[in-house]
Amino acid sequence: MSQDSVRPDTAESPSPSSTLTRGRRSHSSLVRYLARRLIITAVLLVGITLVTFTLTNLVPGDPVAAALGQRAADDPAIVAQFRAQYGLDKSLPEQYWAYLTRLAHLNLGTSWQTHRPVAQDLARAIPATMEIALSAIVMAIIVGLVLGAVSAYRRGRISDQVLRLISLLGISLPTFWTAILVFYIFYYKLGIAPGSGRLSPGMPAPPHVTGMYTLDALLAGQGETFVDAAAHLALPSLVLTLYTVGLLTRFSRMSFLEVLDKDFVRAARAKGLPGHTVFFRYVLRAAAIPILTMVGLAFGSLLSGTVLVESIFSWPGLGSYAYQAASKLDLLAVMGVGLFVGVVYLGINLVVDVLYGFIDPRVKVG
Amino acid sequence: MHRRHIILTSVVAAATLVLSACSSPSSSPTSTTGSSSTAQIVIDTTFDIKTIDPGREYEPTGQIVVKALYDTLLTFADDDTTTVIPDLATYTANADLTQFTFTLAPGRVFADGSPVTADDVVFSLQRLEGMKGNPSFLLDGVTVTKVDDSTIQLTTTDPNPALPATLATPSAGIMNSKVVKDNGGTTDETDAAETFLNENSAGSGPYVLKTMDVASQVVLTKNPAYNGPQTATYDTVILRNVEPATQKMNVERGDAQIALGLSPDQVASLASTVKVESTPSATVVFLLLNADPTVNAYTADPQCVKAIKEAIDYPSLLELAGAGASQATGLVPTGFLGALPASDELTFDLAAATSNAAACGIAGQKVTLSFPNDIDPTGLSLSTLAQRIQVQLQAAGITVDLAPAPFATEIDPYRTGKEQIGLWYWNPDYMDPANYLAFGPGQSVGLRAGWQADADPTIADLVAQAYTTGDETQRQTLFEEWGKAMNADSPFIPLIQPGSNVAHQPSVTNVYYNPTWLINVAGLGAA
Repeated sequence: MSQDSVRPDTAESPSPSSTLTRGRRSHSSLVRYLARRLIITAVLLVGITLVTFTLTNLVPGDPVAAALGQRAADDPAIVAQFRAQYGLDKSLPEQYWAYLTRLAHLNLGTSWQTHRPVAQDLARAIPATMEIALSAIVMAIIVGLVLGAVSAYRRGRISDQVLRLISLLGISLPTFWTAILVFYIFYYKLGIAPGSGRLSPGMPAPPHVTGMYTLDALLAGQGETFVDAAAHLALPSLVLTLYTVGLLTRFSRMSFLEVLDKDFVRAARAKGLPGHTVFFRYVLRAAAIPILTMVGLAFGSLLSGTVLVESIFSWPGLGSYAYQAASKLDLLAVMGVGLFVGVVYLGINLVVDVLYGFIDPRVKVG
Repeated sequence: MHRRHIILTSVVAAATLVLSACSSPSSSPTSTTGSSSTAQIVIDTTFDIKTIDPGREYEPTGQIVVKALYDTLLTFADDDTTTVIPDLATYTANADLTQFTFTLAPGRVFADGSPVTADDVVFSLQRLEGMKGNPSFLLDGVTVTKVDDSTIQLTTTDPNPALPATLATPSAGIMNSKVVKDNGGTTDETDAAETFLNENSAGSGPYVLKTMDVASQVVLTKNPAYNGPQTATYDTVILRNVEPATQKMNVERGDAQIALGLSPDQVASLASTVKVESTPSATVVFLLLNADPTVNAYTADPQCVKAIKEAIDYPSLLELAGAGASQATGLVPTGFLGALPASDELTFDLAAATSNAAACGIAGQKVTLSFPNDIDPTGLSLSTLAQRIQVQLQAAGITVDLAPAPFATEIDPYRTGKEQIGLWYWNPDYMDPANYLAFGPGQSVGLRAGWQADADPTIADLVAQAYTTGDETQRQTLFEEWGKAMNADSPFIPLIQPGSNVAHQPSVTNVYYNPTWLINVAGLGAA
């Protein structure tokens, strides 16, 4: 991730007497590092609101005209009431300052498309997207790393060529096309997958805890709802998994190949260590950092919303919400989404940077 | 290592398929509840819903829901959109149509069992008018007063023959005033009942609200206290937000019983197991030629306008519109009082168009045709239509540059009268031809074409008379005269009246399209 924030430590061997001191120093440096990153993150988020606000207001078009009906927009009293209700009767700097003031109280304003607080809309949309993104990234990590390892270990052989071709297809196929295809085959033709949406019609949603239906159904002990929610999750998750698997397979193969040629791997093999020990103790650990970077980026991309996949599977997630907001000039909703996406990327960057230190002792933060 | 991971991968894949197979792929009316064949009905559409507060909603999806939850004073029968009939009340009007007296039907109750009273009617209509929400314009200039517990009087400043039809729109739904007031309801801009009304219903309609998610679905259940004239067949109505391509697959597989958002192409390729009700919609797709010479000297020249009207091959445009579509005979669509017969529609005459275009000087010049490219009125692509018009005008020597833009961007120059040529559509706000008088000189849509009130005194006079004449025969004559004059001399060119296609499973009967509320879910039957 942010490579300037991590650096290899000096390769000195610690003496036993210095271990405790070094541990304390390392702990306090991590705290300092996190504090600094959080401050930077806050500044960046304000920057994101400013950029989003400016860009949204630069778009030609009047949000009042877009939000009101044809006759209502011709009625000065209705237009005046709408502008007053959403603060559009104020100057742009005043509107922006009002937004920041509300934001300080964690109030993202009210969407003029849904007539509800943007925070409520996001609280509904984010778990829906999170559910797909999490399932897709977990599947993709498992499958992508396995295929990448197989491909690297069997470099140049037929199986390697086939896996590379498959991963290329995964990346190259447009996700909307894959989505339509799998929906058509598994739902429409074969009838083994459920239709669109998060649950079958008439199936009540589980009690809200996380907003992720599969998890909430499990927490509530609703087996039937869990199976239904998981079945609805399968196809959209599969589509996103296919793309992410392609990405991770190619990237992990490259990383594994690079490590497999290292002297320490040769030495481990020469010592007669079993293959799985060499892989898990040496190869995987050494290749993990670039793979982790890619996993972070891929997860961020999945969380930012996948408009077309959500649209095809009628999945009421963040992508659909963002698209609707942008197409209707729903300024506060657009800013809310922009802010969330900013938080996602900054948060993932931070987590990945910290994880570097745990994966590779040569890397320290600060 | 390889074997172990292959096994792991296989387990994950198998789990995915098992989960898929475990779930019921179909939601036919008997599959999920297992009670009766009329337990539930699933209707797929593309949501534009923002709210289901009657005083604030004004989007097609919202109208479907509100129509089911709230009764109105008057309504239309499912199979007749020309004559208002009583719902909660009967009415009489004075001779000059400025005073309308409504008498409530005895015994009607809200979902909580409390009676529908004159106070509820007065509150609901005053709230609609006073909140200054999206549909408040419907009651502009109308005063609502209570006469006694079962009688209400509506008084208008000018004669208003369209008022009964206006009161049949779902936005004029009657609410339980006590419930709404208890939850922040007022009759002015301070009203705060919307949040409550988006989570609860407070009407006397055949259904009550169970859940609403503006992004995914609305679930309605039968109102056990309903004692009105309708007989709801389905215990539960599920209205889902589904993209059109998915709607097609859902209705073909029986996962949904009705699909409301299919394009003409999708309708044409539907499986034979699905029935389609194709009727002309009340939407009119038209061209606007700006009459303001400062916007464009050529579109403001009557001879150039005539050339453009003659250059369009109207029947060939219908190829793009699919089933149920017809050439718009005038700005008032068929199905409304005063619609023109086919003999009065505009006709294609390339020779005359070429001659007129050369004479007025537009030949060899470029004009810009603007249109929204992300809105397809009843499935008709305006982009494709604009391209076809461009080719046809080119044949007459008129060069047109296409300027597509998203609706949210293009609506502003359209409303402020800055488009040289605009390609737009008009949906009725209520089932009365007075809707379309907005195209007259000096009226709201007329001004978007730079057509000022004094630009055509004859047509302006017809508009004024049509607005206020109550006698039905005279009204029809006036609207027909107005329609002919508009075809001949206005800066508007009516092009297409697109079809409305409702696809449904054969198990569903009584499927009727309504221009205002699209579909009356309480009127749907089961075979």
